[in-house]
Amino acid sequence: MKNTFLLVGFLSVILWSCKDEPEPPVTTTADVNVSFNALWDDQPFVMQQVYMDDFGNRLRADKLMNYIAFVTLVAEDGTETQLKDFMLLDFSENNEISATLPKGKYTQLKFGVGVPRDYNKDQDPAQYPSSHALSVAGSQGMFWVWNTGYIFAKFEGKCDTTGTEGAELLTPIAIHAGDEISYREFVSAPFVLDLTSGSKSMRVNLHIDEIFSPVNGNDVDLAQDAITHTSTNPELAADFMDNYIAALTVDL
Amino acid sequence: MRWWSLIACLLILQACREPAISWPEDRPIEVKKPQFFPAFDYPSDNRPTTLRVLLGRTLFYDTRLSANGTTHCGSCHVLSAAFTDGRATSPGMAGIGGNRNAPTLANIAWMNRLMMEGGVPSLETQALAPLHDSLEMGYNMMHVVERLNRDGDLTALAKKAYGRDSIDPYVITRALACFQRTFVSGDSRHDRFNLGQKDHMNVAELRGKELFFSERTQCSSCHSGVFFTDMDYHNIGLSLVYTDPGKARATHKAEDVGKFKTPTLRNIQLTSPYMHDGSMSTLEEVIAFYNQGGVPHENRDVRIQPLNLSDQEQADLVAFLISLTDWNFVQNKDLLPLEGR
Ligand code: HEC
Ligand code: HEC
Repeated sequence: MKNTFLLVGFLSVILWSCKDEPEPPVTTTADVNVSFNALWDDQPFVMQQVYMDDFGNRLRADKLMNYIAFVTLVAEDGTETQLKDFMLLDFSENNEISATLPKGKYTQLKFGVGVPRDYNKDQDPAQYPSSHALSVAGSQGMFWVWNTGYIFAKFEGKCDTTGTEGAELLTPIAIHAGDEISYREFVSAPFVLDLTSGSKSMRVNLHIDEIFSPVNGNDVDLAQDAITHTSTNPELAADFMDNYIAALTVDL
Repeated sequence: MRWWSLIACLLILQACREPAISWPEDRPIEVKKPQFFPAFDYPSDNRPTTLRVLLGRTLFYDTRLSANGTTHCGSCHVLSAAFTDGRATSPGMAGIGGNRNAPTLANIAWMNRLMMEGGVPSLETQALAPLHDSLEMGYNMMHVVERLNRDGDLTALAKKAYGRDSIDPYVITRALACFQRTFVSGDSRHDRFNLGQKDHMNVAELRGKELFFSERTQCSSCHSGVFFTDMDYHNIGLSLVYTDPGKARATHKAEDVGKFKTPTLRNIQLTSPYMHDGSMSTLEEVIAFYNQGGVPHENRDVRIQPLNLSDQEQADLVAFLISLTDWNFVQNKDLLPLEGR
């Protein structure tokens, strides 16, 4: 009897204390890290290094930058989580997005390449704080001041299209794509990114060799033309952007 | 470095930044305009105040805004020439299709879009353009910001005018726009004549006026309204081949090649040379060009036709154009650099 009494007292103390104890923390979120990488023949693409493309042109890049917009992961059940609104990728540096999102399985990554119309046409970069990708400082020259709007993608470098082995690269490449005709939306092939058990990272790869190639259906042959400010050569800008989108893959 | 020398340095820096001028209180102002000018809607974040205009005026004439520290807005937009610069084209505004002639800034507040192809929506956004050597915005603006923020008086003024912590692209572009919206010109002899002071125009000018507004010349169908512009874009058959594509530069359309915004004709006597490329040096030359009907570019506006004007009629048109000069505007001291700065 005494024991029972003690036991009941003991139990009630335990129960009492349990009641007051904070809930054990249950993590409902996981981190994901998305990196954006430029590749050539599946190897890291090196700025200023000379490459030979499928047309037999030799080229090098001095600058490769582009805007991406509304980077979003789509979950199994179709719900979408935005990881980032705007980002300027500069392929001479590391480009990473880290975000925290609900645990679960994600099956698709999508983002815009460029700046969507509502944020581009007639918009004033001075309205944003300097830390913003669309601000005066943040845009790093990716803006046309005479025709208000962002430059969505820039590829600058040099090439030699004469096929002469060892020849110096003398022809400038300046592909500046912008304006509505250049905006593209990337939607990845389906995958399974399991964020139920913990944090993960994923890689978005841009296969530069596939941009300067007929494989994706649009000839961006530097021997034909290597310069566009979009308005001066809208076809080249559009072809470049089409190939750009087609040259993206996602690796988990 | 010892800690006390660090403090000493900070104190010195602080002293340098200490504003020497104490700016007066800011207050809203009403920009004076002639009754017959349409009302103007200011952007809600940039209504004119005394200090905003003052800041804009300071910046407009500040060489720290240029990369090499030698030019300012007023180098190419000179008040005595109705804010043009007398040069055919302005070096330093590199263009894809060649350089352009600096346009007047008179009544710029009322122009619905800016630049000759209309690619820029507002004076605020336009202010980003001259601050760069190229057509594409570089880091220049950030250098300008850095330089200006070292000026304690100016930062204090900017704070009072816009309530922001420092001078940033927002403040610079807003202030420049605010000052430019005070460039109001509506007091020519022709304006006075229209207001009933009939002795302000002579007979030759009146004959020219009649021609200008006639079906025969159609001048006023494009150079229309109080600002003598329909704010639209036309190809007037200036040449068969346009090195500067004009509106097509922004729209990529073949039908827009050689189309330029109809310029205002107010103060036209003072803004030579003429046309987007400054290719005509006198008004006589311009009228002779219209009389001949330009050259048959495929986009040439149908209204540009040989006019068969007599020498007298051509001279009368020139006389009329000269009556559009507003001498009070180009001598308005409030639009000149602040004395002592
Ligand atoms: C090197 C000469 C030069 C300088 C300096 C310069 N401008 Fe201009 N400005 C021009 C030319 C040329 C154009 C015509 C550009 C075009 O239409 O493509 C122009 C156009 C403009 C326009 C548009 C006018 C219209 O009718 O569309 C505005 C407004 C203007 N400038 C303001 C400024 C301001 C403010 C500054 C100083 C921050 C400045 N400019 C500095 C040469 C200059
Ligand atoms: C179809 C529309 C149109 C008609 C009609 C027209 N203009 Fe123009 N005018 C323009 C445009 C557009 C320009 C600028 C062209 C350029 O720079 O290439 C211009 C330029 C000018 C200029 C030079 C302005 C400057 O600042 O450089 C003058 C002066 C002028 N026109 C006077 C006239 C007169 C006088 C007539 C009638 C005989 C006339 N215009 C008829 C559209 C027109």
